[in-house]
Amino acid sequence: MLKENVLQQFVSIVGPERCKTTKEDLLTYAYDAYAYEFLPDAVLFPKSSEEVSAIMQTASAHNVFVTPRGAGSGLGSEALAKQGGVVLCFTMMNRILEINRANRYAVVEPGVVIAEFQKEVEQHNLFYPPDPGSAAVATMGGAVAMNAGGMRGVKYGVTRDYLLGLEIVLPSGEIMTTGTITTKDVTGYDLTRLICGSEGTLAVVTKIFVRLLPKPQTKRTLQAVYDKIDAAGTTVSKIIEAGIVPATLELMDKTIIKALEDFAHLGLPLDAEAILLMDVDGDPDTVEKQAATVAGFCREQGAREVRVSESEKENEQLWAARRSAFGAVARMRPNCMIEDATVPVSYLTSAIKKVLEIAERNNVLIAVLAHAGDGNLHPLILCDQRDSDEMARVEKSMDEIVDYALSVGGTLSGEHGIGITKSKYLPKQLSETSLRMMRNIRKLFDPQGILNPGSFLEDRQS
Amino acid sequence: MISEQLREEVHKCIKCGLCMNACPVYKQLYFEGASPRGKVQLIKKVLEGKLEPSEHFHRLLFTCLLCENCSVNCPSGLKVDRLMKAMRAELERKFGLPWQKRMVFHLLRSSRLLPFAMFWGRTFGPALLSMFAKGGKVGAIPCARIPRLNSVPLAKQYPETISPDKPKAGRVIYFTGCATNYLFDNVGQSVIAVLGRLGIEVIIPRRQMCCGLPIFLSGARKLALDNIHHNLRILAAENVDAIIVDCATCGAALKKEYVHILEEMGENPEPGKAVAHKVLDISQYLAQFDLREFLGPIQGRVTYHDPCHLVRSQAVKEEPRRLLSLIPELEFVEMVGADACCGGGGTFQLDHPDLASGITNKKIRAIAATGANLVASGCPGCRLQIHGNLESELIQVVHPVELLAMSMREHDSPAHNK
Repeated sequence: MLKENVLQQFVSIVGPERCKTTKEDLLTYAYDAYAYEFLPDAVLFPKSSEEVSAIMQTASAHNVFVTPRGAGSGLGSEALAKQGGVVLCFTMMNRILEINRANRYAVVEPGVVIAEFQKEVEQHNLFYPPDPGSAAVATMGGAVAMNAGGMRGVKYGVTRDYLLGLEIVLPSGEIMTTGTITTKDVTGYDLTRLICGSEGTLAVVTKIFVRLLPKPQTKRTLQAVYDKIDAAGTTVSKIIEAGIVPATLELMDKTIIKALEDFAHLGLPLDAEAILLMDVDGDPDTVEKQAATVAGFCREQGAREVRVSESEKENEQLWAARRSAFGAVARMRPNCMIEDATVPVSYLTSAIKKVLEIAERNNVLIAVLAHAGDGNLHPLILCDQRDSDEMARVEKSMDEIVDYALSVGGTLSGEHGIGITKSKYLPKQLSETSLRMMRNIRKLFDPQGILNPGSFLEDRQS
Repeated sequence: MISEQLREEVHKCIKCGLCMNACPVYKQLYFEGASPRGKVQLIKKVLEGKLEPSEHFHRLLFTCLLCENCSVNCPSGLKVDRLMKAMRAELERKFGLPWQKRMVFHLLRSSRLLPFAMFWGRTFGPALLSMFAKGGKVGAIPCARIPRLNSVPLAKQYPETISPDKPKAGRVIYFTGCATNYLFDNVGQSVIAVLGRLGIEVIIPRRQMCCGLPIFLSGARKLALDNIHHNLRILAAENVDAIIVDCATCGAALKKEYVHILEEMGENPEPGKAVAHKVLDISQYLAQFDLREFLGPIQGRVTYHDPCHLVRSQAVKEEPRRLLSLIPELEFVEMVGADACCGGGGTFQLDHPDLASGITNKKIRAIAATGANLVASGCPGCRLQIHGNLESELIQVVHPVELLAMSMREHDSPAHNK
């Protein structure tokens, strides 16, 4: 529990309106988009770096735990107050500070919603590619803390690849900046990329400097329909092997197709076993050519039909539906655990088969979605948390999926992060030495251990 | 009690957050308690007995426009708005209604008091309004921009049955609603004129009452039950092709809400369903006809605002646009975010004037950006809110049917027929 005098200090920093402590308010900051709930003692909404600095100073002085949070769309309890204390919520610190066309960069506050930022830069004919499925909700700050990936990863990479620099506040309250606004910068350690993906364990991000690209002139969405999911998987490997780089390359299995059709009524083929949803982008000539090549590949590999979208509106509808997959699938059962183990792309087909086999053997309902182009699987495990027997089978399935991914040189998590849901697997992928180095880095930033305690680096038992 | 079926709804929410981006209230306040998923979480806790329904919870439930954007955008198919409405009804038992609402609802429930109040309201309206006003505004609307009441209620301007002077092409009941009857009689006159021109016989049942939506959305379902039963009886009495409404809100009540309420209160929903089948928004009804031969030119540019109760509650989106596009020489321009809520939300703008203004300002900017001199919208609530917050005298808010009537007058005028 927070002491009254400490709370008063927080109130004096942000004012009573932006310090929430009622039971109702706390209950609404106990969750993210995953399964667990942890109640914070207070929620603070800073609006400036100075306020964040003052909050961290107070927290340091009184040993108060602080967990930074964006929109709370995370999938592993990363931004929840796992050991109580204060949630530092950035949704009200949400201005786009600069969009610089001459040098193609932008500066934003952490609470800016990704999709809104993308829309804004596109007005200037610029492009910010990182595009997690939750972009309509998730914040830029959250994306930095989690190194969010998303659907355009196959061509454009992930959040990390667009960071030029950061302004951060250390747990002590000191404000510092990392990086520069130039695209090249080899001065000192790359702290920007250390903070990125650190899941809020090292410092609090208060400003983000991102690199922008020129907006691709045009885009075409293709939809390839398969009777066999294997053939869809093989198509993906072939496309990548052939050196074609689509902007997005998504795979959905029949369970996902049905759920999306139930929600969005787009006329998706309900009898298909898989669909590949692909974007090609660039200048009109290249796009025409690439669309034709990709369509050819799909047919060669046994796609029964390849549809090329006719309009921007159709593109948007298809992608909006894809973005809803997580929620739409959740209609089928009360809970939906989303996995994101990632394999080298040449293993995609066998990985999908493996997942389906694991599901069948453990008698668990798994729908398969994948950012296929970069081998990033999203098995959606549908279950009811109230059934403990079922949950044991779910847990076993997740263990097996992780083991498989690691056995072929993949990773525990492609983009969702470790949080508390995957921390138990960490020693399977990271050596003792590697973990020790990480813990030491954390100590250097946060000697008191007040920032996001209970995070992925800490053993859950201790 | 909240029905079993609605109780299960809370388990559908996986907190993905897509509703937050769709929620105009969250987009002003930026804290979870204001967002749909936050409210669903709290309702869940209350239903599980883990949270006492507090004053604060009550306030949060009413920090909602019931615009239904969350329900429409929920990939899990959670009917957030229905859950909210049912919960409001639960809370009304505990917290009652504020005195202003009690007073107004008392009027809306009475077939005698309401006309009486409206009669005197015409004279003493401004004085009465100033009793409620704060800083020259009632809610989010400046007093000076609140329209005056009709000098004579619409229903008194016509006989109960208005027969066309040409062969009868149809027969409809016209449910005028309070707003048209007492505030915007030009809308009603337009409906009657347009239907008459098409040869439709129009019946305006004398004894129709307020649809009751403001009452039951505030949670006072029991209080509204008389209005519901009464209206259903009257609307079922005549054998007609359709029951026409010009008000998005009345339409939502008659088409959907009545049935939900009757079901959830354990009453027989069948009379509600029988009426609901026949109810059509005036734009839906008119879209069945080929109006072109009746329409003359109107100069200007029009944009269209989708009322929540029309576009989401009733899924009517294309018809009003199609009708407006038929009018010769009138240029139709789509505004950005046409289906975004205007921020009125019935009594919402009275309870949360600043919040409402913030939402309305976005709408006003979108309207201004079109360069239109006319904003068409089939909802008196939206009309009050948008007109009330427009700073330009050059932009006029109208009902689409008013433009159609005007266009027909143009067509029939001697100048046109020269």
